[in-house]
Amino acid sequence: MNSSADGTLEDEDNMKSIFNDFMDSRFKRLVAAAVLILLSIILMSGIYQKWIPRKGKKLTIGVFAGSYWDIENGYYYRILDDAIEEFQKVYPEYEVTYTSGILKSDYSEWLAEKMLQGDVPDLFFVPADNLAAFAGIGALRSLDNLIVLDRGFDPGAFYSSAYQTGRENGVQYALPYECAPNMMFVNKTILDREGIPLPDPDWTWEEFLQICGKVTHSTDGTGVVNQYGISGYSWVDAFSTNGVELFDEEGKSCDFTTPQIGEAISFLERLQAGNSGYNVSGRDFSNGNVAFQPMMFSEYRAYKSRELSLKKYSGFEWECITMPAGPSGDNFSRLDTLCIGLSSRTSQEKAAWELMKILTCEKKIQREIFDYSEGISPLKEVTESKETADLIREGTGSAFNMDTLHRAMEKSVIPPRFAGYEEALEQVSTAVRSILESNSNVQMEQIIWNRTINNYLKTRR
Amino acid sequence: MADKSLELYRDNTAEDSTSILQAPGLIFFEMKVLNLLILLFITIISVHALRGYTMDGSALHFLVGAGSVPVFSWKLPVCVSILSVSLLLLLSIPCNNHPELVGKIILEYGIALGICALTGFGYTGIVMLLLADTMRYRIDWKKRIGYVTAICIAFLAMSSNQLYNLLHVIPLSQLWAYYRQDVRSSLLSVLDMLSLLNTLVFILYMVVLTLSQTSEKERILRLNSQLQNANRKLEEYAQEQVRMTETRERNRLAREIHDTLGHSLTGIITGIEACIMLMDIAPEATKEQLRAIAQVARNGITDVRHSVNALRPDALETLDLEAAIRKLVEESESSTGVKIDLVFPEGLQDLDQDEEDVLYRIVQESITNAIRHGNATHIDVRIERVDSDLRIRIEDNGKGCDDIQSGFGLHHMQERIDMLKGTLSYSGKEGFVIEAVVPIRVVSEEES
Repeated sequence: MNSSADGTLEDEDNMKSIFNDFMDSRFKRLVAAAVLILLSIILMSGIYQKWIPRKGKKLTIGVFAGSYWDIENGYYYRILDDAIEEFQKVYPEYEVTYTSGILKSDYSEWLAEKMLQGDVPDLFFVPADNLAAFAGIGALRSLDNLIVLDRGFDPGAFYSSAYQTGRENGVQYALPYECAPNMMFVNKTILDREGIPLPDPDWTWEEFLQICGKVTHSTDGTGVVNQYGISGYSWVDAFSTNGVELFDEEGKSCDFTTPQIGEAISFLERLQAGNSGYNVSGRDFSNGNVAFQPMMFSEYRAYKSRELSLKKYSGFEWECITMPAGPSGDNFSRLDTLCIGLSSRTSQEKAAWELMKILTCEKKIQREIFDYSEGISPLKEVTESKETADLIREGTGSAFNMDTLHRAMEKSVIPPRFAGYEEALEQVSTAVRSILESNSNVQMEQIIWNRTINNYLKTRR
Repeated sequence: MADKSLELYRDNTAEDSTSILQAPGLIFFEMKVLNLLILLFITIISVHALRGYTMDGSALHFLVGAGSVPVFSWKLPVCVSILSVSLLLLLSIPCNNHPELVGKIILEYGIALGICALTGFGYTGIVMLLLADTMRYRIDWKKRIGYVTAICIAFLAMSSNQLYNLLHVIPLSQLWAYYRQDVRSSLLSVLDMLSLLNTLVFILYMVVLTLSQTSEKERILRLNSQLQNANRKLEEYAQEQVRMTETRERNRLAREIHDTLGHSLTGIITGIEACIMLMDIAPEATKEQLRAIAQVARNGITDVRHSVNALRPDALETLDLEAAIRKLVEESESSTGVKIDLVFPEGLQDLDQDEEDVLYRIVQESITNAIRHGNATHIDVRIERVDSDLRIRIEDNGKGCDDIQSGFGLHHMQERIDMLKGTLSYSGKEGFVIEAVVPIRVVSEEES
């Protein structure tokens, strides 16, 4: 009995000694552990993809079908294809691909799914609304060091607010690809009929109210008002032209009590009173019964162009001018920008950066925005060039004053963006509507609503 | 009977103590396996949830809510497994001093933190592995409490919100929010149960560890007393041995005296008594008898000398072989005036003790014989080395001996040489010649 027990013990000892031989010293075990840790870090960071030898180098682009400005024109991949061609002249070894046919409405979800699958395109278009979200989850690579290292790159070439759109928490995450400011559309036919000259580019709310007052009356002699001053002008327009900054950077607090807001609200009250209770709609404007309506410049380009001009706003002469300035603000336009960002997981950051630069900084490509899209180039040199002016005049068939556009671009502001911005905006909307509807003291109401909105922002997280 | 039961009892305790000594290791192993299983469970469910978000088209909503992009699906279990294995490897490394232990714990904590971050801090019981490992070391209580406190604080820090934000961790509850409320709560309760199981195993481990450490202390105490016992016995035994040796030596002396001196004296006494009676009757015969008695007395003296010689410490014990033989030759020359020539070869330092002994005895005996029995005036001692044999030849010019009686001396010589598997030959025709051939072991020569 004893001897057999000893025998098994010996066997165990042998097994142990084999195991011990394998990793006899503590040092070997330490090294093995270190190697495993390194392995998992490499696996997680995805850096190994750089080391896998590939036949041809590959770049992928995330892009959606159709126009960013919600206007179908069928040219959308054209600029991208040209940019890829331009890129491949310099980097012929790269194969550049993109998935076509993703709708703009599905695009963000498609990107998010790609992120979950660990298969994000090397560079992708980022709508300004999604930028904060994508930067927040770390899906976008910071461009700061690339910008510093690239001597040929000049941020000053862009309109500053377009460039600022790609900035989040002090880090540049994306470059602007195309943009459009919102502007005031004027029914010139009405103004001419009323004998009112086109407002100056630096016109104010007071002038705006005066014109609205003048044009609001009955034109057919029935005594029923059928011509209005303004449609589609919301509190957002009033706030932004009066220099209101509602939210802080991260959207954690809101200041609804400032006098600028008070001014804007009373201005809105007066504007509403002018319409004598009638809710003026966009349809009224397109029927030629409204003098003013804020619109994106992209719409101006779309509907002024020959192909689409018959579809909308065809019964009258119209033009676009700057937004009227509030007493504490300026003729600010809100700028919407489509940006391009680099994936934080890209293994080809150098090439992707070059392609990104071709898309955003290459004048030849940027000029095509005026050919195949409705936005405008964020590059000052391209937008302010004579060819562009000619192109717009030719395209819209009008004597458009390019200074108006330049002024709007220079004075453009970026609406704040943070996760849950839409919902927060809804809260403010409710507040403004309720103040406008009630008859009580505006300042009191401001304080009450300030508390409500801030409570909402606090509990949201 | 009493002894046997005691023995059995002892056996039992021995078995018990070994099993309780192995028990903490076993439980620790179980704990490791349990932790691996829990982590696998979490990661597999998480991967399924991530897949689900993509399928449902709520990926963007999830990502915005989560605030960071999780590790891509299949990488999650793989990375967690790899990190766990590396943690287990680190746990198996023994430490010799405090700086090593501190370094190891920090490294282990780092890995544990990584694993927890990957699994959305849904399960932090892995820190108990660190705690269990640290408790295995025999450190004094103050330092041990220090270690435990430090690990516990680090453990608590794991559930802080700041750490979540710092590491961009997606909390497990958010990751699993994909599931319906009831499914999610049952999944979380399974996780809670596993976590509780881990805690229970840890507690069991601590209890068993404490027990085993106390039992080992007892075992050491028992071993210590056993050792002291054995020591005392050894001492007694040594004293006994000394007494025994003394007695044996005394007996030997007594026998020696009895055999030699006693024998001679008896002969002498008997002879002298005979002489007393004979003296008056036959004076001639008495004379004859007295001569015989004188011879017996002389023989007796010789025997006594022999005995004394045998008792005297050997020259060999203090000198090497060559010096001892030279000393023997010199002493014999100076005490008897006999001329002795000695030829001694070079390089006989590598002989073994028994070979040296035999060689010395042969030379000594032969010289004694030549002087005593042969009345020689010249002795030739020649020691040669022939291949692997040692050849000893002692030749004298004495009267020799026609009828060689294999007496005490020669008999002894033969015996000794037989022990070394050698041969002995002698002749007494002209003087006396003794030749011995002894094969020598040449290990050291071969080695060199």
